[in-house]
Amino acid sequence: MRIFEPHIHMFSRVTDDYERMALAGVRAVLEPAFWLGQNRTTVGTFVDYFDTLIGWERFRAQQFGIHHFCTMALNPREANDDRVNQAVIEVLPRYLEKDGVLGVGEIGLDDQTKKEEHYFLAQLALAKKHDLPVLVHTPHRDKKKGFQRCIDLIRDAAFPYERVLLDHGNEETIKITRELGCVSGFSIYPFTKMDTNRMVAIVKEYGVERMVINSAADWGVSDPLMVPKTMVKLEQAGLRPALIEQLVWGNPVAFFSQGGRLDVARLEQPANIDRRQTFEGNSVLRGQDPDA
Amino acid sequence: MNVFDVQASLRALLPAERFLVFEELRTEVAAGGVKALQVVLPALPRKIGREQLPPELALEGDVSVDLGAWRACDAAALELLHVAQAGDDALRELYAHGDIEERAMVLRSLACRPVSAGTVALLGEVQRTNVQSHFEAAICDSNLVARSLGRAGFAQADLDRLVLKAAFLGIELVRLFDVHRHANPELSRMLQDLATEREAAGRAVWRDTARLIARAPTAGTLARLVGGLEHGDDGTRLAAAEGLDALLSRDRSQRDELHLYLRERLPREPRAEIRAALERALAR
Repeated sequence: MRIFEPHIHMFSRVTDDYERMALAGVRAVLEPAFWLGQNRTTVGTFVDYFDTLIGWERFRAQQFGIHHFCTMALNPREANDDRVNQAVIEVLPRYLEKDGVLGVGEIGLDDQTKKEEHYFLAQLALAKKHDLPVLVHTPHRDKKKGFQRCIDLIRDAAFPYERVLLDHGNEETIKITRELGCVSGFSIYPFTKMDTNRMVAIVKEYGVERMVINSAADWGVSDPLMVPKTMVKLEQAGLRPALIEQLVWGNPVAFFSQGGRLDVARLEQPANIDRRQTFEGNSVLRGQDPDA
Repeated sequence: MNVFDVQASLRALLPAERFLVFEELRTEVAAGGVKALQVVLPALPRKIGREQLPPELALEGDVSVDLGAWRACDAAALELLHVAQAGDDALRELYAHGDIEERAMVLRSLACRPVSAGTVALLGEVQRTNVQSHFEAAICDSNLVARSLGRAGFAQADLDRLVLKAAFLGIELVRLFDVHRHANPELSRMLQDLATEREAAGRAVWRDTARLIARAPTAGTLARLVGGLEHGDDGTRLAAAEGLDALLSRDRSQRDELHLYLRERLPREPRAEIRAALERALAR
């Protein structure tokens, strides 16, 4: 079964992860621009990171037959940092036109400050202008209140709910979002956020309509195979394969197709693998035989 | 520099509505300059299309370009770079912050622009790139590399390194227009060392090795060419026969010895094309 992993930070993962993901059925990944573990002090480091997401990381994924896409944004945490926040907003329009950019994200709230709200709204406006959906990071602390505040801001901005993916959800937030018309995202982690057993319970109760699951794997304790692992749990719980496929492929593909840049026909085939591009170029594959 | 008529090419290639989009983008970039192009360029493949232009050798002044290697978006990018009056700094900036397709479009445009410091800088970038499509966009299907030789920052050693990388990547020599004219003994040494290294590893050798080293022999060249006549790979044998033909056309000092091997091979050579090359060499 094909998997579209709709939230993973491959920038912080090793090459082995790509190989394992490809073997587990991952055909495409979406990498939201995010916080890199420490604050950046100049806009230039954002620009370099954005260039990596649209260039090198796509190329790296392709070596394993995986299509790589991303969303671009000023993340909510660094929205609080006046050294970079406005300057990042000013460089974003250029990046929001890149072919591999399927949305604006991660935007949203983290510490739930006024500055975060200001830049959340500014980026909702950019998403409208560039005809893109948004991937919304919701707070880990005081989550329920922050979740509701995100929804209030989206409503006040008259941003269409069907173009909103509210991520990092849980048993509490699903009750809020189910009737809104937005997509609910669940980040399955080994120990925190959401686990596989709880996810099975949520699917059994609410079904898979307008729902996506992701690993949100990054540099911390996380697992890029959480989507396929959850699929196994769902199958063992008796969920029909067609519904599992809708959850891990149909739903994310439909959501990120809304900007008109995701060519579903191209997704049907694995990304073009030509490891000789790096093999002979004496680079990341460092002389391994690509056919071995 | 007007190497080919982009507007006429796109009008012939694109459906009317897409050509209209191109004209609108052209107007937008003409008004907004490089700043507008920064936002317009990444959208060209999806808005203008990726269809190949019909094969045609475009010649203008000292420029030659195979348009068959170009896509509709490449041609559109060339035109938009022109109307935006993008100079060296703009070109390098667009490359530096471009996605994979943007970079390819910028690099391909170099073939139809005057050689400048920006050209030389971007040739340096592709010498270090890992993306083969970028390397090919810059150095293949035109005479850009040969045309750039002698410009500040692009000496013979720089050309040699690009050719060696092409050999690493297995790119056909014929795609690097006119590069064979700049064969030299140091490049021959580099190519022969690569060939030896590949053979020691049991890996394929760049077939065009013989075609280039024959034009500027160095120690070991003759033995490699003669040995190539007995190779099991048809392409390698053909290159060896053509190499010996090229060598004898320039230097007949070892004609008798080389003819000995050519004559000995001729009746056993099963491929007509290779026999013809052997006969040409024997006529020298």
